[in-house]
Amino acid sequence: MLTRLKSNWSYLAIAALFVFLILIPFDWFLGQYTTLMIFVGIYTIVTVGLCMLMGYTGQVSLGQAAFFGTGAYISAILSKTYGVNPWLAMFIAAAMTGAFAYIIGYPIFRLKGNYLAMATLGLGLIMWILFVQLRQFTGGPDGMSGIPYLSIGGFVFSTSLKRYFLVWFFCLAVLLISQNIVRSRMGRALRAIHGSEAAAESLGINVTQFKVKILVLSAVYASLAGSLLVYNITVVNPQTFDFLASVKLVVMAVIGGLASIWGAIFGAGATRILSDELLLRFGEWDVIVYGLILVLVMIFMPEGLFVKLKEVFERLRLRFRQKGAEP
Amino acid sequence: MSKSLILETRGLSKVFGGLVAVDSVDLAIETGKITAIIGPNGAGKTTLFNLITGVYPVSQGEVLFKGKLLNKVPPHKRAKLGIARTFQQVHLFGNMTVLENMMTGQHPRSSYGFFEAALRLPKVHREEENITLKAMKYLNLVGLGTHVQQNAQSLPLGQQKLLALARALATEPQLILLDEPGAGLNTLEKRELSDLVRRIREMGVTVILVEHDMPLVMGLAEWVVVLDSGQKISEGTAAQVQKDRKVIAAYLGEEEV
Repeated sequence: MLTRLKSNWSYLAIAALFVFLILIPFDWFLGQYTTLMIFVGIYTIVTVGLCMLMGYTGQVSLGQAAFFGTGAYISAILSKTYGVNPWLAMFIAAAMTGAFAYIIGYPIFRLKGNYLAMATLGLGLIMWILFVQLRQFTGGPDGMSGIPYLSIGGFVFSTSLKRYFLVWFFCLAVLLISQNIVRSRMGRALRAIHGSEAAAESLGINVTQFKVKILVLSAVYASLAGSLLVYNITVVNPQTFDFLASVKLVVMAVIGGLASIWGAIFGAGATRILSDELLLRFGEWDVIVYGLILVLVMIFMPEGLFVKLKEVFERLRLRFRQKGAEP
Repeated sequence: MSKSLILETRGLSKVFGGLVAVDSVDLAIETGKITAIIGPNGAGKTTLFNLITGVYPVSQGEVLFKGKLLNKVPPHKRAKLGIARTFQQVHLFGNMTVLENMMTGQHPRSSYGFFEAALRLPKVHREEENITLKAMKYLNLVGLGTHVQQNAQSLPLGQQKLLALARALATEPQLILLDEPGAGLNTLEKRELSDLVRRIREMGVTVILVEHDMPLVMGLAEWVVVLDSGQKISEGTAAQVQKDRKVIAAYLGEEEV
């Protein structure tokens, strides 16, 4: 009964989110933030993958920008340099990034905890150096421009309004798929690995294989987001995928709550608003703000800001109901 | 062969660096019985469990489950074959509810994968229903049926150990290894544990337990194996083992002559 009630509430919340997202582009609502919301959608996709990897499975990644960038560059190079259809390029990028994650997954998951964090950090740095140095493919530090928009038949996703709906279509699909996985035996296995690898293994869970699979899934998400990014801004440059980008992704996941799928929207949203609207005048000093946020959230609300807010809301609702029940 | 053996080890050894933790141990565990493995601290009991479940690779010798050689079978596949275990340090999933812990126990008995889960195909609903049913069945068996939505970590130690036992049972094993199930329990809880272990045996599950509590072992075990310094020094019924001079010497120390 209690769970039924709870799931009714979450359906209501999702419905409210839908309405909110559809209303955003209207000028009388939040129309001027349509472009910002495109980025929120893109970063939400990466963050969800990171949440599943870090929050649910307990495997730290400080190099998620590597997969984000790999997807972006493969899409950019295929569609710009080789004239491949952008949709096909996006698909190839996701497949290649996933394969890449699969190949590095087995050696990298021989490591645990801090060592794994260091290895993923190294991966992020290596990929960033490749983006900068492979000039003949990537355009070096200047990156590439003139990447085409996505299109279906004659319908080109050329305006930010069209791209807004495109990105959020993908974003919501990713969120729903992730929620389905989390609420299944797969999700339980992932959380079991986080809880105790020894116990998980004794219950028949193939720990290493699960870790690799979830790394592949998070890499495919990141690649998809990277592709959507380049088909939105039609340019790509390596700064988008440097070490700080990986740190920002972790900040997004942490603010949203590491073990919260829908919190990812909140985390990505809060962080994008911070960096696009509030922290511009800080210049490169914004790193300090991100560091501070990370430290404060981890100390005071390790479940994440979003999860904490949800808790407060639940508590208020209960108190309200109790008051109402009194004669 | 008159008796059917569910588990056999032949010359089983484990060496850590220079230390021989388990030294050519031969075990023959009869199907459907409760066997206890006892011995002083550091005798190699838990290491023996870890060899049987595959947590450690075997240094020498063989582990056979229902006549099948297990040496190269990874731990998660042994669970699927029908070997379950509990741990001394309980190892519950503290990030999950009691019911979710139990449902995780059903992992080797369910089959849908990432793809089906992602799209929530009908197969998922069918299996999830079955998983919940089985989880509740074993949860009720240990008397925790009313704690479903509670966080596993919030239970008192006695109930945590029961939950870990129920979770292992949820894998529907043929053989279950219990590592010090009585440790940290009070007298009443220990009596309940004895009853529970007997009920598990009646369900047709073979039980091997490592235990320090002698009254518990002697009341429960139909066969007792004694280890000391990694070697099997004695085995027999509880009464036989208690009279064995070697066993007494191992526990109390030998008198210098």
